[in-house]
Amino acid sequence: MQLFKLLGNKRLFIALIGLVAFIAIMGFTLGPRASLSWPEKFMRDTVGFVQSIFYKPASYIAGFFEDVRNMREIYDENERLRKAVAQYSRESASYNMMKANYDELQNIMNFTEHQKQRYEYVYRVAQVISVNSDPNNRTLVIDLGERDGVRVNMSVTSVEGMVGVVSSVSNFTSTVKLLTAMDEQDPNPQPIAVTAVGKETATADHKATFGIIESYNEKTGMLEMMRIPEDDPIEEGDQIISSGIGGLIPQGMIIGTVDEVRTSDYGQTRTASIVPAASFQDWKHVIVVFTPEEPE
Amino acid sequence: MKRKQVLFLLLFLLFILQGTVFFWLTPSSWQLQIYPNFVFVAILFVSVYYHRHTGLVLGLIFGMIHDVIYYGEMIGTYSFAMGVSAYIMGLLFQMPRAPLPIMMTVVLLGSLLFDSTLFGIYKVFSLSQSSYDWALLHHMLPNLLVHFVFALIIYVPLRKQLEIIAKSKRNQTS
Repeated sequence: MQLFKLLGNKRLFIALIGLVAFIAIMGFTLGPRASLSWPEKFMRDTVGFVQSIFYKPASYIAGFFEDVRNMREIYDENERLRKAVAQYSRESASYNMMKANYDELQNIMNFTEHQKQRYEYVYRVAQVISVNSDPNNRTLVIDLGERDGVRVNMSVTSVEGMVGVVSSVSNFTSTVKLLTAMDEQDPNPQPIAVTAVGKETATADHKATFGIIESYNEKTGMLEMMRIPEDDPIEEGDQIISSGIGGLIPQGMIIGTVDEVRTSDYGQTRTASIVPAASFQDWKHVIVVFTPEEPE
Repeated sequence: MKRKQVLFLLLFLLFILQGTVFFWLTPSSWQLQIYPNFVFVAILFVSVYYHRHTGLVLGLIFGMIHDVIYYGEMIGTYSFAMGVSAYIMGLLFQMPRAPLPIMMTVVLLGSLLFDSTLFGIYKVFSLSQSSYDWALLHHMLPNLLVHFVFALIIYVPLRKQLEIIAKSKRNQTS
């Protein structure tokens, strides 16, 4: 009798139905989804529009005070940039020659048009509209959307280095999932195959560096690069870039520098801690990397 | 009876400001630590001074907006956590004449409950690796402080408005 009385309680009944509905929604939206439904798109576009009105002025005002604070550092930065420009102009001459050589060789080898364009990425600057700093679900909203050709899983980078991957797209805005939310047990894992600058390919002296970044350690603030072979030439201070293996993440995205290399928990391979190049703070602009369309 | 609609719009404005302007007001070193949810604090006031059912519905609505806008992993976490914690705090503490100390206790307990619910959901779906102690120390307690300060700021104006709405509702029914 007691049990039937309990079932007759309307409030309990509603609460249970609500709980079940929420678990269903969470489970349904957790896995990979092709695209968003129209109510979601509508809500995101309207709210995104209002947010963009507020975010820009706020970032300019905050940026102004920061500029005043950084006035002294600008002199040093100028010096450094001048050196970098000198080096750049020297290197661009040799780059042009190598590029011409490379194109010619591609022609001789009969590369198809698609193969030639595989590594020609288009970079587009996007304005950050709003930020969610929940540590378990760090996301940014940017003002480029489906209409501008953004697709899910495109990589997003800042001037310093890679910051994340586009997780969902609506007509005029898209959401970027940051690298700091990366996690091995994620239901939609996005591991990044990486290598070190100068050690991309095997030579007579050493083998190529290879590893996979699939998690972020929140306690140390570093990315974990796993599955590095025992005889890998990786060293502390190496700059880590994405290798483009697997195809989802474009080649040559700067990720960070190696802080420490140690034997992994299972002993067979090694693990490296990577200090991320991007700062993950004070967002203003990010750059979306458009990869060429894969032929169907 | 426009007061209700204006308050709802202000709540929406607060939601917008939370993701844009407040982010710029927090110092860079704190940006990785705190994730204040000011809308939730305001909804706690509604739960205590007006009615817990209104708090529940507002929590569900604004949580759902938050989930859809910042859709990274899944939809429904914020909606569930905000709705349920606002309802529970309203159930325990609903009193139209609650003085400042009680309201502040509600804010502290409510924000702990909210953050713990979020943590629990992420843990159940194994999206979070950190332990509860660590999250408590590094995220929830700093959050608690920010929520407390925000609650002190909005206490007087928001309570006054909510009491006017509650009074006019009582007059209509009687």
